[in-house]
Amino acid sequence: MPPKAAKSEYIETDTGNKISRRSQIHGTQHIILGGKTVIQAEAVIRGDLYRLHSTAVSTDPNNPPQQPNAPSVAITVGRYSYISKSVILRPPSRLHRGVHSFYPLKIGDHVFVGESAVVEAASLGNHVHVGAGATIGSMAIVKDFSVVLEGAVVPPGMVVPSWCVVGGRPARIVGEVGEGYGVEGAEGGLARERYRLVGRP
Amino acid sequence: MSRPFPYSYISCPCADTPIPDPAKKRRSKESSQKATPERTDATDDAATPKQEDNQDEGDSDEEQTFDPRSLRSNFSLYPPEQLLYCEDCHQIKCPRCITEEIVSWYCPNCLFETPSSMVKSDGNRCGRNCFNCPVCTAPLAVSTIENVTGNGSQQGPWVLSCGYCMWTTLDIGIKFDKPTNIRSQLQKMTDSTASPAYDARSRQGSRAFGDLKSPLSTLISAEGQPSAPNDNENGNGNGSEEQTKEDSTDVAPANTDARFAALKTFYRNQISETSNSPNDPLSEFGFSSPGALNRLMSLYASSSRLSGLYGGNKKAKSKPPVMREALTASEGLRVTPAGEEAAIIERLASPEGGWDSIASLEQRAQQSPDVRFVDELLPLPVLLRTKRAKRCKSCKHILVKPETKPQSTRFRIRLIALSYIPLPTLRPLALPAPSSFTSGTVTQTPDLDSLPPLRPVHVLLTLKNHMFDPVRITLATPSVTPGRVASKVTILSPQFEIGANSDVWDEALAGASAPVGDSRLTGVRTAEKVPEAGKVWDKGRNWTTVVLEVIPGTLPGSEADTTNAGNEDAGDEGAVTLKEDEDVLEIPVFVHMEWDAEAQLEQQNVGKASKPDDLVARELAYWMVLGVGKIQAAL
Repeated sequence: MPPKAAKSEYIETDTGNKISRRSQIHGTQHIILGGKTVIQAEAVIRGDLYRLHSTAVSTDPNNPPQQPNAPSVAITVGRYSYISKSVILRPPSRLHRGVHSFYPLKIGDHVFVGESAVVEAASLGNHVHVGAGATIGSMAIVKDFSVVLEGAVVPPGMVVPSWCVVGGRPARIVGEVGEGYGVEGAEGGLARERYRLVGRP
Repeated sequence: MSRPFPYSYISCPCADTPIPDPAKKRRSKESSQKATPERTDATDDAATPKQEDNQDEGDSDEEQTFDPRSLRSNFSLYPPEQLLYCEDCHQIKCPRCITEEIVSWYCPNCLFETPSSMVKSDGNRCGRNCFNCPVCTAPLAVSTIENVTGNGSQQGPWVLSCGYCMWTTLDIGIKFDKPTNIRSQLQKMTDSTASPAYDARSRQGSRAFGDLKSPLSTLISAEGQPSAPNDNENGNGNGSEEQTKEDSTDVAPANTDARFAALKTFYRNQISETSNSPNDPLSEFGFSSPGALNRLMSLYASSSRLSGLYGGNKKAKSKPPVMREALTASEGLRVTPAGEEAAIIERLASPEGGWDSIASLEQRAQQSPDVRFVDELLPLPVLLRTKRAKRCKSCKHILVKPETKPQSTRFRIRLIALSYIPLPTLRPLALPAPSSFTSGTVTQTPDLDSLPPLRPVHVLLTLKNHMFDPVRITLATPSVTPGRVASKVTILSPQFEIGANSDVWDEALAGASAPVGDSRLTGVRTAEKVPEAGKVWDKGRNWTTVVLEVIPGTLPGSEADTTNAGNEDAGDEGAVTLKEDEDVLEIPVFVHMEWDAEAQLEQQNVGKASKPDDLVARELAYWMVLGVGKIQAAL
């Protein structure tokens, strides 16, 4: 088994994460994967953009202080979430009291992020579907069971309520998903199946 | 939102309801044929013997085959997750056969609930800090101007800024003192800044904000004080309310808000003055009340020739009083200043104005009608959204009831179709490479976006049962798909059973089925497995997979079409052009399911029917459409 695993495209961790060898993950100690997460090739995950401790920041923002005792979490990804090819996950940031600081990016369970999407949201809820090529602006909040259509640009700070479909540039609420959305096996509930199919010939 | 292949849609039977007449339905039921897809009455069907087993194919041909391409089916096909199920009607319910009622209003931006009493007065918009950019509709953020420079003080003027197009309220010269309650601040500002300024245009622009709130809110305030019209009736001329409004806005109500209120009071007075009956409650109900109608009718009846026909005693009546129009500015009249339009035109044409300064139609649609330029646009408070409960239109039973809290994603009641009808999933069968020079691991999955015509494709259709009773399924499909592109479809095992959605532990304890579940998902065992007629492909705890053999037809006018002379499509050579989406291979499949439900679920049936059994046979039938893929033009 080990030699075969070495050849395959995906590294499978103990918790079942399938991570492509061709993905670029920075700052791994600041990233938490919930297990059974899929990260495809050429995805860029910027765990190195973690939040500096605020006390240290306010004194000297240019010099990152050495505080290894509590590595702050930059990116959390839930179970069965799927990060497609060429996705960029980047923790959100904003100017607060004149200081530019990063905030954690939280991605829930059963989330699908489509190819070459850029996610800078503060949080993506559970069962969120982000279409290919979509951009989610800094500090945006995408609640559970919502859909971001392909190519949409969710402006910074936008809140997408649950069960809503947003699309366009800038994104607006264009509809709602049905009540059955997210049921296992139906639309929005295919995460397990998607996970199983990863890495199979 | 089109879906990638393969997809499956389910047809709600309601689209057919105008067509059938009950007599025909009864006949077809009594002859124990398969029920028409539009309605299966469970009590009737329970009594009829099930004989449709082997005549499904013929039945669906005799009856109208569902055509996914017909214009009507646009209105009946829904993705499975959109559909609901009414437990009383035993019927699938689509968004067209339900009614909705609002459970709560909430702001989609701050996710706070707005009490229903506030919704009207707030003009259906968020009363807090949520605004949309008037230029690009992105949400606006409250930010300070001061601390950008680096000092840590949070004091200082605040602005609303758009993170998408970088518009800020500074562009229209608005700053806020506090970061909270922006809407009332803005309200005050737009009212107070309108003190007789030099520029009529900008004044209107800035006042236009009142319009966002105005019509409804003034309606409320005016209707809340029925005494105001009475005052006017006494001959005061102007109501006290009107008076105060004018006082606050100086000379004439230049504010559209105030003007609307003035006009409204004026007309209210007019109605009460001109109405015939002294105690006419008209003013309370407005123009559309029955009283107003009555007034109009009597007006016409007395003045027209008809009065002669219906008794001439009305002739004796005096001439009805006539309503006059608003005459003065205090009554809400606004005379357009002479130079106003000239000034606008001048500004449109001036070099510093130009295209970029003119508000687009989309922008103006959201603003006061007077707004013409970008610098007159005001931030728009976010429109509220609703959470809605859904009821069956025919039996009024609640199908969906979400929790009131905006943040909650849970439901108190949620009868979705997916919990009753088997969930269809479609998957191409990965066949071993035909050349078979490779080992068994390399399999060929057909590319669904370009299916070669006349080459058989095997598709796996998995139906997953979510009910706690095992279900017997009969599938039927026309052997040739309707439309010009005739694809041949064969369901290799049209009759099968799906197990109950029992406890997962049963399966786990049984132990054996885990690897089976794996094979369903990947088709690993395809190497030794060959699709076989009459045999179910695979089976699990609550799902069954069958194979559909599809031979895609040839597209009209394609190369393959000319080579194949025997094809019936070759006949109409005239229409060689491909219509839109004609190359999409969609298979209509008729699903007939029957199961034994526990009778206590519907006591009323037990009570009235003469079947005291604890099991009631149920059936449900519907059409679904499987989108397999696109047929490619050439071989």
